[in-house]
Amino acid sequence: MATTVIGQGMTIEGEVSSDEEIIVAGVVRGKLQVDGALTIEAGGVVEADVGATSVAVSGSITGNVTATERVDLLAGGRLVGDVKAARVTIADGAVFKGNVDMDA
Amino acid sequence: MAPIPSKSSTQRNLGGGARQAVSADRISSDNVLGPSVRVRGRLTGDGDLRVEGQVEGDVQVSGALVVDGRGSITGGTHASSVDIEGRVQGDVTADGAVAIKRGAHVQGNITGSEISLDEGASFAGRIDASFEMPEGLEDVSAAPVAVRGRR
Repeated sequence: MATTVIGQGMTIEGEVSSDEEIIVAGVVRGKLQVDGALTIEAGGVVEADVGATSVAVSGSITGNVTATERVDLLAGGRLVGDVKAARVTIADGAVFKGNVDMDA
Repeated sequence: MAPIPSKSSTQRNLGGGARQAVSADRISSDNVLGPSVRVRGRLTGDGDLRVEGQVEGDVQVSGALVVDGRGSITGGTHASSVDIEGRVQGDVTADGAVAIKRGAHVQGNITGSEISLDEGASFAGRIDASFEMPEGLEDVSAAPVAVRGRR
């Protein structure tokens, strides 16, 4: 039940780490490390290097993204940075600038 | 604050569907830092915040701040109201009430319009309550009360 939500209007400047799912609808600047799923909601802004099991982006990420399972850049999402994950999807309507590394 | 519904169904279904389920629950307006979360840095924002994890840094929210029994904050906090069940090391400032609940450990100075200290809480610091004292006690109220030890 313990979902972590960084809501709209909330800003974290610094390092965030978690062993459970995190949902970001606010702003995170610094570093974000999640041993679980990370969801960036529409309107959510992450200016940080990101590590997670899986990442779903409807908001914006500026920084390098590493996922042990998958990265899904959804419609309306924006990602500027390098992506490293075994599975990567980029939806129609998403914006992406950077490199993709799908080496297992 | 209402309990956060289980998100186990959305965890397995990341993607567009997951996002819809999240907004349907309207949980994005509430900020929660779960028990396994560690934040090192500054946390600011609008709305309420529930801390079940560990924060090392200053916390400033416009709404209510709740430090859960599992939660801890090392740093200054500022909120409209503050409820502490966990550990806080640093100054606590609230526009409204500050409640230090049973089992809480607080070290720092507390400022608020109302301050309550429950039995079973441990507190070391200064209390500065800016409420109006009843007539005849104004002189006493001029000096903030310094409290130390366990109640």
